[in-house]
Amino acid sequence: MINAKNVKKSFGKNLVLKGVSLSVKPKEVVVIMGASGSGKSTFLRCLNGLEKVYSGEIYINNVEITHNKTNLNLVRREVGMVFQHFNLFAHLSVLDNITIGPVKVLGKSKEEAENIAMNLLKKVGLEEKANNYPDELSGGQQQRVAIARALAMNPIVMLFDEPTSALDPEMVGEVLSVMRNLAKEGMTMIVVTHEMGFAREVGDRVVFMDDGQIVEEGSPQEIFTYPKQERTKAFISKIL
Amino acid sequence: MGGFFSVIWQNLPQLLYGAKLTLFFSVVVIIVATILGLIFALFKISHNPVFKKTGEVYVHIFRGLPLLVEIFYIYFALPMILPLHKWFDPYFTPIAGILALSLNEGAYITEIIRAGILSIGKGQTEAAYSIGMTKYQTMRYIILPQAFKRMIPPLVNQFIQTIKDTSLLSVISISELTRQGQIIISTTFASLQIWTAVAVIYLAMIFTLTGISGYLERRFKIDKR
Ligand SMILES: Nc1ncnc2c1ncn2[C@@H]1O[C@H](COP(=O)(O)OP(=O)(O)O)[C@@H](O)[C@H]1O
Ligand SMILES: [Mg+2]
Repeated sequence: MINAKNVKKSFGKNLVLKGVSLSVKPKEVVVIMGASGSGKSTFLRCLNGLEKVYSGEIYINNVEITHNKTNLNLVRREVGMVFQHFNLFAHLSVLDNITIGPVKVLGKSKEEAENIAMNLLKKVGLEEKANNYPDELSGGQQQRVAIARALAMNPIVMLFDEPTSALDPEMVGEVLSVMRNLAKEGMTMIVVTHEMGFAREVGDRVVFMDDGQIVEEGSPQEIFTYPKQERTKAFISKIL
Repeated sequence: MGGFFSVIWQNLPQLLYGAKLTLFFSVVVIIVATILGLIFALFKISHNPVFKKTGEVYVHIFRGLPLLVEIFYIYFALPMILPLHKWFDPYFTPIAGILALSLNEGAYITEIIRAGILSIGKGQTEAAYSIGMTKYQTMRYIILPQAFKRMIPPLVNQFIQTIKDTSLLSVISISELTRQGQIIISTTFASLQIWTAVAVIYLAMIFTLTGISGYLERRFKIDKR
């Protein structure tokens, strides 16, 4: 479903991704961990074309998104992304945040989009907030709306970039629980997070990145209990 | 004291005619300058180096020169190279005035719009892209609506400036308010009365504009979202 081959990316002279390869099967939940600055966000952003790769190839559903001629707007419709800082559209109500994509990008009618949006809001437990604005919601609520906004495009894969890192501790649970349900329903997910509990319970595979490379990958069990690489061990001992 | 007001009263139709022209030029210039400002602001933030440079050069030139020089240049100097006065006869004078003012105000508005767009965080653009929006859709539905609210106060400031700047059109004999004042005084010698009346009329226009902007700000709940 997703196949990244030897992806390299640099910012100026700074080589940030030094050849990352990862393939993800349908319905798989892959958790990416690694120290700050190791290139996790950059890699996710390459996967939906927010960053241009320097070399390497990325295929999503057999479409090479790293090809010059690929229309990235079409790719991005199918790849949902949830950001650390939610990035809800500040001037739009919760409902409009969710419907604007289906209406303007997919050309759905307003009624149809609103139906979808209300169902998604039910799913993330925020029906009663439909007419509120983002700044009237807590961080956890905003992140759940952001998840609903991405889901409204009916994506084939969801990317999460530290979705709970900007949240107060008491709000982490509500967001993780939405993500857990999503995984149970069979959504393909790539999640950058340091939530060990979530990784153990939901993750099919944990990928550990350091200095722009994948240094180790395996089942959560393998990575957390028997890490092989020194760098992985050092990192795990820090977040435990 | 009755005489103080009577000279104003007698010349009121002429003053109001001038005010009407001032209003006309202000409105046209504000519209043209805003369109120019939007275009050149988009040029300046574009990644295309040619557009970017064009936007920069435009702002440098038209913000860099005194407005009076710009008016003289377009009205007196340009026709020496291009027979604009023949092409646009008999409307060359108002067109030259509108052009000079619009290009000048447009340069300031470019910077206002550019700053407004840049003040919207990158996260908004990325979120819009991530749901598949095109660059145009992102600008149109996500960035500009948010930027516009932040631009209202500086834009209103610039519009007030524009109303006042139309008084410079008197130098190319456009009979707007200031010019009418001069003409009336040249025959009545009632400097104090006429300039007082002129000042009051300018203030009335500007207060009206401030009132409209206050309404807009409340309507868009500007500091809220
Ligand atoms: N837009 C950018 N411009 C320049 N350098 C960047 C940019 N984005 C990220 N980097 C650099 O790339 C490296 C990896 O960053 P990032 O992918 O955000 O890491 P992580 O998400 O693992 O913390 C860091 O050294 C960061 O400074
Ligand atoms: Mg990051």
